[in-house]
Amino acid sequence: MLTLTNMQIVYDRVIEAVRDVSLEVPEGRLVALLGSNGAGKSTLLKAISNVLFPEKGEVLHGQIMFRDRDIGKTSANEIVRAGIIHVPEGRRLFPLMTVEENLLMGGYTASTAALHDALDKVYTMFPRLKERRKGEAGYLSGGEQQMVAVGRALIGQPRLLLLDEPSLGLAPQIIEEIFEAITRLRNEEGISILLVEQNAALALEIADYAYIMENGRIVLDGTASEIAKNADVKEFYLGFGDHGAKKSFRDIKHYKRRKRWLS
Amino acid sequence: MDLFLNLVASGLVIGSVYGLIGMSFAIIFRTTGVLNFAQGEVMMLVAYTAWTLTHTLLFPFWLLVPSTIVLAALIGMAIERLFIRPMTGQPIFAIVMVTIGIAITLRSLTTLVWGHEFEGFSVPFSGGVVEIGPVFLLTEQLAVLILFMAVSAMTWAFFRFSRVGMAMRATSQDETAALLMGVDSRRMSSFAWAISAIVSGLAGVMVSVLFARAPDMWHFGLKSFPAAILGGLDSPIGAGFGGLIIGVIGELSAGYIWNGLKEISGLILIIVILMVRPYGLFGEKELERV
Repeated sequence: MLTLTNMQIVYDRVIEAVRDVSLEVPEGRLVALLGSNGAGKSTLLKAISNVLFPEKGEVLHGQIMFRDRDIGKTSANEIVRAGIIHVPEGRRLFPLMTVEENLLMGGYTASTAALHDALDKVYTMFPRLKERRKGEAGYLSGGEQQMVAVGRALIGQPRLLLLDEPSLGLAPQIIEEIFEAITRLRNEEGISILLVEQNAALALEIADYAYIMENGRIVLDGTASEIAKNADVKEFYLGFGDHGAKKSFRDIKHYKRRKRWLS
Repeated sequence: MDLFLNLVASGLVIGSVYGLIGMSFAIIFRTTGVLNFAQGEVMMLVAYTAWTLTHTLLFPFWLLVPSTIVLAALIGMAIERLFIRPMTGQPIFAIVMVTIGIAITLRSLTTLVWGHEFEGFSVPFSGGVVEIGPVFLLTEQLAVLILFMAVSAMTWAFFRFSRVGMAMRATSQDETAALLMGVDSRRMSSFAWAISAIVSGLAGVMVSVLFARAPDMWHFGLKSFPAAILGGLDSPIGAGFGGLIIGVIGELSAGYIWNGLKEISGLILIIVILMVRPYGLFGEKELERV
């Protein structure tokens, strides 16, 4: 459904954030993109939805194909119309607008009739938003804001959902609720999802396939279960030792914590 | 008491003009973050064009109104396309400087094309007197009040309910997020300039009907700027009310204290109010979640 080939992205013409990245999101699958801070995951998502320009980012090389169409030069609003919807990191709600207005903004490109059905669907999915629909979005709790962000994306009726760290700064219980909703989107609605996460354990639990990014490159990829079994991933992302036992931090030499990948 | 009521009424009339222009400042500022210092000049240009339509091309009044609105929108969009859009990505301050350049250019351009003379602007409804209790108003003054109320209501409804109005608010709050919703932010900026040119252009036509079509009309832009600040630059309706307040205070101080206070009393009021509410009377303060 979505195929990236040999993407190279720079900021300010010189700072290379992503180098030679190729990845694929098949129809109806949930693909996780994992990696630590500054690995270039969010940059990649912004490149897909073509909103790098406000930050002076630029795609130097590479091709982005969506449903057999090259969308590398397509403007952000056309990409939304094509069915790719991006939930940015840190939610990015419109803080002074009400919850309902935020949700309606998600359906900016949809027809009015479709909008009302979609709104009802989001309210059934997250009943808490219905109670708060007249309140200003800026005053919601982090979890509720994330629900609005996901709901806002759903109202646009995406074919492909780009989720940037939906678990960021949320309580574990809320994370569970959000991830349940994400899984349901794939299983029941057949929406393809590209999920960027730092919480590798959680993402691997629900993903079909995973890529691991470091320093702007993809260093490892495979089905989620393969990745979860990989010894290096276990040690560096999941915090387990070779034998599957939880490793004590006392045993980890700090210089070893930073893994160099040969690829 | 009669004096008081008459002063308030004429204050409301002039305040409506300030309010309309203040509103047009706020419409551009709220969507794009740019302060358009050429607002008074845009107003003048639209008023002059409308004058030519009526007095040279002899458009009937029912045709004048829609054609003025269309022309104003085109003027606003043209300015945005020619001078503002190429500046995208530059510091806001640089863009504001460009608007000052536009202001001076438009001022000279109008005198170049239409000359220095004052000319009356006659409309079918001018000349009558309306008596509301002890208050006497000319029909054209009443028309200004009605126009102000109609435009305020429409602006409010537009930003509150329409899809494009909502998208304009969203763009002002978070441009990248708005882009991700499928909003074309460049088009929002173009719309904002068009709407603001329409609102200030209507005010310009009313100024020429009330006083004259004159080459120093652009002063109204400067005088209305305090109205926008007072009401809150990010709130068109607030800016409208700010205009009314400044108009009324100006007339009252001129009537009861000293005529020279008319111009400055509003500014004194602003200093006091901004000390208490730095974001203006109706402006939205930055939301901070605790």
